[in-house]
Amino acid sequence: MSDVATAEELAEAYRDWRVRCNANPRLAKMLRGWDRTVHLVTSDTGEGYTLSVAGSVLGELRSGLVGAPDLVVTATSEDFTDLFWGDLNPSEKYLNGEIVLAGSSEDVMRLDAMSMVAFLDQ
Amino acid sequence: MGDGGREADVVVVGAGYAGLSAARRLVDAGLDVVVLEARGRVGGRVWSETTQAGALVDHGGQWIGPGQHHLQAWADELGVTTFPTFSDGANVEIRDGRRHLFTGLVPTSDREGSADAVAALLELDLLAQEVPPEEPWTHPDADALDRRTLGEWVVSEVGSPAARAMITTATLGVFGAEPCELSLLYALAYAHGGGSMSALLRTAGGAQERRFHGGAQQMAVRVAEALGDRVVLDAPVSSVRLEPGRVSVTADRTTPDGHRRPWRVDAARVVVAIPPATQGRIAFDPPLPGRREQLVQRSPMGSVTKVHAVYERPFWRDEGLSGQVVADAGALRLVFDDSPDDASHGVLMGFLAGHEDRILDGSGSAGRAAIALAELAAAFGPTAGSPLEVVEQHWSAEPFTRGGPVACLGPGVLTGCGPALREPVGPVHWAGTETAAAWSGYIDGAISSGLRAADEITAALGRPARQGA
Repeated sequence: MSDVATAEELAEAYRDWRVRCNANPRLAKMLRGWDRTVHLVTSDTGEGYTLSVAGSVLGELRSGLVGAPDLVVTATSEDFTDLFWGDLNPSEKYLNGEIVLAGSSEDVMRLDAMSMVAFLDQ
Repeated sequence: MGDGGREADVVVVGAGYAGLSAARRLVDAGLDVVVLEARGRVGGRVWSETTQAGALVDHGGQWIGPGQHHLQAWADELGVTTFPTFSDGANVEIRDGRRHLFTGLVPTSDREGSADAVAALLELDLLAQEVPPEEPWTHPDADALDRRTLGEWVVSEVGSPAARAMITTATLGVFGAEPCELSLLYALAYAHGGGSMSALLRTAGGAQERRFHGGAQQMAVRVAEALGDRVVLDAPVSSVRLEPGRVSVTADRTTPDGHRRPWRVDAARVVVAIPPATQGRIAFDPPLPGRREQLVQRSPMGSVTKVHAVYERPFWRDEGLSGQVVADAGALRLVFDDSPDDASHGVLMGFLAGHEDRILDGSGSAGRAAIALAELAAAFGPTAGSPLEVVEQHWSAEPFTRGGPVACLGPGVLTGCGPALREPVGPVHWAGTETAAAWSGYIDGAISSGLRAADEITAALGRPARQGA
């Protein structure tokens, strides 16, 4: 059975990931023109988070599901935390069905590629 | 007409998945159908064979992935089960002659290059989403996209040599062609038809996700068995004569005493369900419209050889390896673990594709096998260089397909000739995976193309079309 990450741990990992993503010029290029609201749902703890992408910049993580999402990502709290720390290859989890993405095909493609690049650039 | 031929409602040329799909649909609609197949077997580009060592290998199409509903429906109906393509463990990357290990879709030894490759794939996939696979030539920028090759796009948009090599390897695996041989518009439409280029490249969650217990050909065999003596083997079609109100199709049929004799079938309609490159070997009288002729002449097949190395067991799994290889150069640019589900043998399968396949044509089977084994040994150690046997299918030298896995359209073909892909010429209807909008180049596309051609005919003849696969 997998461990559960606390909300604080998840938020801390996201803060670190956000700084690295926003400093990555390749990601900035990939995010150009992609202003989206993304909901993160933890499948084990039932928590909801909201993040926004605007002007090629990842915004802060807000607690709760705020606004109408363009994309919903569902995973365990530990997988989210590991993903943000760079300890997890999201593509494999996504392909194994352990991370579920719901949105338009373009949004899913962009998030998938973005997470791969963020992972590769660790 | 005696043994010199017979009459039917519809003649189907080719007993691959497209032709069999059309024939089955037409028979279900109550039509009298004859299927003429050039080879002594059915399945077309899908051919399963048990090797001397007792391993079942698929020489051609072999996978099924998410979204391939027509093929899945056949498998379900015929009770054919599937299993996941083995992909547990680390993949091998060969780059600049050195061996690296990685997990996931993209090699990681050159992270800059890999990130560039992912970004380029995303760009391609986003472009592809805008291209309607049914009629790519209607895209607002179709002329510009069709004037460029995929290779030109890669040179202008992808800076890293490592990323360019990765995209070339991917292109070779998907099309059996070099990026410089493909129209960008064609590549985008093809990718969109299968979801995305990323989906075409993936094992889990992609086009290579699952394989068939017993091989991929058996569904064609079972459908052909149900069609019975409507399917005539060893009967390559040599001519199609169009006459008012009917069509006469002549095959060089092998008689029971081993002689070849012309055998004619007169029918109201004909479905041509063979690759474009082989259609050019049929004499149409009167000749087909110029645009159709040009389409056929400008639709060369990809170049591919499938090489299977059979071992007593999948020894690479002991070392935590998936059996998958991605190489930036050499003969085998992509390798998969093709072992049976029960791992009763170990089988590594590699694609020799594009320019390299043509260069090594003169090396013969033995020469290609020696090169393949040396590369497998570089990836998996010396044990890989000593298999029980090596078997290959050199599709380029196969007279009734002439290459593989699919026709590769260069610049200007879709915008110049695209509408002729599916447009019937009088009583002549076109099927084959190349005519499919979704999953063109795949078994699923072949099946759907046959259904579409059959429905054209039942509509034209006033028969009720049947729903389903």
